Amino acid sequence: MRVLRDLFEDYRFAFSFTVLCLLLILALLSAFSPYDPTFWWHATRDLIPSWTHFLGTNSKGQDVFWQATYAVRNSLIISVIAGTVSRVIAILVGMVAGYRGRLTDRVLMFVSDSFLVMPLFLIIVLLAMLVREHMNLVNLGLLLAFFGWAWDARVIRSQILSLREREFTQTAILSGTKTMRLVMKEYLPFATPLIFSTLINNMAWAIGMEITLAILGLSNMDIPTLGTMLQWAISYQALLLGWWWWLLTPIVLAIFLFVALYWLSVSISEYLDPRTRIQRVGAR
Amino acid sequence: MRFVRRYLLPRFIQYVLVIFLGITAVFFIPRFTPSDPVQRTIAELQSHGSYLDPGSIDEMVEDLREMYGLEGSMLEQYGAFWKRVFTGDFGVSFFQFPTPVMDLIRMSLPWTAGLLLWATLLSWIVGNLLGGLAGYYARSRWSRALDTVAMVVRPMPYYIFALSLLILFTYVVRLFPIAGGTDIGRKAAFNWKFIADVLRHAFLPALSMIVLGVATTFQTMKLIVQNVNAEDFVQYAKLGGVKERRIVSRYVIRNAMLPQITNLALALGQILSGALITEIVFSYPGLGSLLFNAIVTGDYNLIMGITALSILAITSAILLIDLVYPLFDPRVRLM
Amino acid sequence: MWRKHWCLALAVAVALSLPLVGVSQLADLPRSETLIMSILTGRVGTPGNFNEWVGWKWRDRGMQNLANEPLWSIDFATGEIVNGLAAGDPVYDSNFFHVEIPLREGVTWSDGTPFTADDVVFTVELLMDTPGFNNHAFFAENVELVYKLGDYRVGFDLKTANSRFHTTFLDRWGCTWIMPKHIFEDVEDPVTFEFDPFVGCGPYKLHSYDPAGYWTVWEKRDDWANSPTGILYGEPKPTYIVLQAFANEGAKIVAQLTHQLDGVDLSAEGLKAALAQGDTVRAYQLSFPWVVNNDPAITGFIFNTAKAPYDNPDVRWALTLAIDIVEYAGQAVDGMGTLSPVHIPSLGSYPANFIKPMEDWLEAFTLDLGNGETFQPYDPDAPAGVVAYARSRGYIVSDDPAAQEQAFGLGWFKYAPEAAAKLLEKNGFSQDAEGNWLLPDGTPWRIEVVSRSDTSHLEFKNASAAVQQWKQFGIDAVHVPTDAAATLTQNGDFDIAGNWPAQEPWGAGPDLYRTLNAWNSTYVRPIGELTNGNHSRWSSPEMDEVLADLRATDPADTAATIALGIEGLKIAFTEMPGTPTFGYIGFVTWDEYYWTNWPGAENSYIGPYAHWGTFKYMTPFLEPTGN
Repeated sequence: MRVLRDLFEDYRFAFSFTVLCLLLILALLSAFSPYDPTFWWHATRDLIPSWTHFLGTNSKGQDVFWQATYAVRNSLIISVIAGTVSRVIAILVGMVAGYRGRLTDRVLMFVSDSFLVMPLFLIIVLLAMLVREHMNLVNLGLLLAFFGWAWDARVIRSQILSLREREFTQTAILSGTKTMRLVMKEYLPFATPLIFSTLINNMAWAIGMEITLAILGLSNMDIPTLGTMLQWAISYQALLLGWWWWLLTPIVLAIFLFVALYWLSVSISEYLDPRTRIQRVGAR
Repeated sequence: MRFVRRYLLPRFIQYVLVIFLGITAVFFIPRFTPSDPVQRTIAELQSHGSYLDPGSIDEMVEDLREMYGLEGSMLEQYGAFWKRVFTGDFGVSFFQFPTPVMDLIRMSLPWTAGLLLWATLLSWIVGNLLGGLAGYYARSRWSRALDTVAMVVRPMPYYIFALSLLILFTYVVRLFPIAGGTDIGRKAAFNWKFIADVLRHAFLPALSMIVLGVATTFQTMKLIVQNVNAEDFVQYAKLGGVKERRIVSRYVIRNAMLPQITNLALALGQILSGALITEIVFSYPGLGSLLFNAIVTGDYNLIMGITALSILAITSAILLIDLVYPLFDPRVRLM
Repeated sequence: MWRKHWCLALAVAVALSLPLVGVSQLADLPRSETLIMSILTGRVGTPGNFNEWVGWKWRDRGMQNLANEPLWSIDFATGEIVNGLAAGDPVYDSNFFHVEIPLREGVTWSDGTPFTADDVVFTVELLMDTPGFNNHAFFAENVELVYKLGDYRVGFDLKTANSRFHTTFLDRWGCTWIMPKHIFEDVEDPVTFEFDPFVGCGPYKLHSYDPAGYWTVWEKRDDWANSPTGILYGEPKPTYIVLQAFANEGAKIVAQLTHQLDGVDLSAEGLKAALAQGDTVRAYQLSFPWVVNNDPAITGFIFNTAKAPYDNPDVRWALTLAIDIVEYAGQAVDGMGTLSPVHIPSLGSYPANFIKPMEDWLEAFTLDLGNGETFQPYDPDAPAGVVAYARSRGYIVSDDPAAQEQAFGLGWFKYAPEAAAKLLEKNGFSQDAEGNWLLPDGTPWRIEVVSRSDTSHLEFKNASAAVQQWKQFGIDAVHVPTDAAATLTQNGDFDIAGNWPAQEPWGAGPDLYRTLNAWNSTYVRPIGELTNGNHSRWSSPEMDEVLADLRATDPADTAATIALGIEGLKIAFTEMPGTPTFGYIGFVTWDEYYWTNWPGAENSYIGPYAHWGTFKYMTPFLEPTGN
């Protein structure tokens, strides 16, 4: 709890935490939506925000507010799936490579570097085209996860490498601790803060990719996400027709989400890094 | 010798392997799409209601299959493909038949390279300068103000930013042209008119990339400089009375540059893949537009050509950094 | 100290950039004499290659619509066939084995060489003899011999009786063009010949083009009077015409709003945006529904009649009756389309020649619902429902019945979900407790409707509107937009698709052979193979008979041709292999800042599209405003 209090002293953490909580509530609200998000024409088109429709309606006859709740929910689901699955891969690869060393390390790092070096964006776009018809939230999350682990695997590996040289490792090995137990019980706590901060970065990246894929017309337009909402608004010329509520809703939500995630990751990593933590304290 | 074996050789092997794997992946992926380029072409010929006599379509399909090089099994096509690649021939574009892929790339590359080269370099220089100074004077008001601005600008979705710039400066305030690399009817020539024309058309796309690039570089540099600033040798220099200008340039920034050089090289390597959205929003005639068009029309050869070149560029950039880095960072030489 | 440096740097930057600022996009062409239009088919992929006879070369970048003159052209606005290089109709002999075509005198190619029958003979012989040309197979199979009967008359001896042979030279967004013999005869390989610059008999010649394919500039010929356009209609007004491609619709609209684009094809929303924001912008019609509604094509969707349960006409009718066309038209195109109950669009001469004579038969048409019940689906009041919808949206619709008929059609089918349910139950379908429909074998009924992925295309709009209607009816319907749509439908790998329910008719003249022939049984292939007829893979012996009769009928015999056409339409109507909804609508906007006298609905002297071949005939009538 003291940790949380310390974190809250940073205005960036406070802001991002609040924003994320609000967005989470918005996402949960989608369970109470009176409208099915894949149905069109359940409301009069192009209405300005009013008490019956908080954020107005769009040109497909849907209530923008309730669409937004689904959009936030789906975007968060995609990013969480992408983030966690890629964490799991990164942890496995990083830990095994860091601990085993030698050939295993070389091979794993080679694979990871290859992922770093490829023009990931292009390959993701190609694959998205391939599976477009079968694209749903989970598939998209998995697709993004498959490409998002490489950088963090390396980071975790260096952490493990430094931990391996420490005294307690020798002690544990000498006292007969099995490898797995050592890794899980001893190393993981050290690596957790790191993992958490990279998780947040990865989530932001996943949402960014999702929006980009939607803009390029490569995702399933029936599923409301921040990206597809924006793409529908653009293809219906919302900007030039003046339907600002339809266009601004996904944009503002996306900006808030990104800024919140970014500030969260920055404030947490600054907190974790002892040098910057001291600087913060000194600066106050 | 030991240096070569432990440092250079593994990296070189990795370089070759990655290129091979990458190009293989790019060869096979488009071939698994359900859309058949031959039928696409026929559909295009038939679209808008123009009439292809149904009896003659069968023969056409045969002809097209042959001309596109889609005959034979996947492995045969794969083998033939590698044979051609070593001569720099990526085959012929399907959709823009019969133009060779290399010609198309050659035409579009200067636009993308020009735009991204300038944008990357400018944002790198400006970002590092501002970041370095801000990092050194970390407590000053302007430094913190800039940091907050960067904090808000950096995570902004690029597409939205680019689109807003477009509408703002071509419609609301009519300062810049909407589309293209040059004016209509302008022939390429080495005179001031042409250059001014190109600059005018490139301004908005470059601006959109520079603003975001500066925000990112600024933050990274600031952090690095702050860390270096806290190092012992800098404190010692300050206590020792070394002139501030000298500390900033020779002690702090010089050491902070190392990781930034790596980043620059990486960014330059990303040129080929980085321009997709920019070029789509601003209708810029570069590789990004070409690639997007190729993906949408299922033009395997063109996709392969561009992606293969992209892989080549990035891996080469990284190999280059790895080869040159020891010159900058003596610590690596001691390995 | 730093601050001074910053200010100076900023000032220098601003000063340097001032000469760069400015909006015009034309390099050296005078804007008031230049007409700028958008290319429909997008960026040109083969900018330096103008060889239209091989592959796809973006013929609407100025080739078919400005520089080339075909033998005949269809003008769907006036319903007439325009004589281009031909001087009149073709003359067939009584058993259709021989045809002669009179050619126009006094025409020269854009490089000055006179046009004669030699060019036509050369073209046909080259196409017959050389594989690799698009039309090689057609000519090799049909033509025995081609020869000249004088400098301005050509004769063909055909291998089989073909009363519609000459239509290969009739331009309806593409046809067989005539090559200039004096250029092609010296070429080593005519298939790979790039034909740059393009030489044609049209009133414009090539000026320059963008090597990246974004624009092509055409210049009025000095000897325009030697082109059929000049002979028939007079001097074209624009000195230069630019055909430009844009990467996205937003750019097109902004270009038109800033007076840098005179004519453009948009989507429904784009049209609204352009009209809302532009003060000199007008649409084809001056008031609702604004759209070009005389484009000869009928949209809707097709069933895969080779796949159960869509092989059953009752099921097809049931799905059709489950649609509320007023809601459907509102959702798809905001009510702006012209409804048609038959497989041709309700425009031009078609209502008078075909639809109205069929009205009695349509009203009497009865479906057997089983259990001794019958149902008459035709509803002549459906268009009135669309009018009411439009008024409820705030659009102004005239009360004139003729205007309403022209804009909204003569009738469609009743919205009859109960009748649809009975038809389905008659065939073994059932509903579960929640109202979801089950197939006769008891499994839930799921329909995947395939269409192309472009959200502004009418295939997409039809497919998504149909899906919404069937969802409401209780079927698990889902819309699958995909780039592979063409491949899937050609291979028969689909349930229902947003393709046009029938092949597009000519748009002029009384002949429906073009439409009906797509259902010719010789073109049907089993699922898994490419089919070249209509992708619904439907055919019937009755239709084949009608086709055989049509082939033996001279298209000049209007009464007989129309009668056979009506018979064909009745057969298609009964079987419903695809459901026609509304005619193709084009969203065209014109900017009147630099040019006026566009062929709008109130002044329809020629077809309104810039991408059609008839665009060259529009050029003598456009008037510069003097801005």
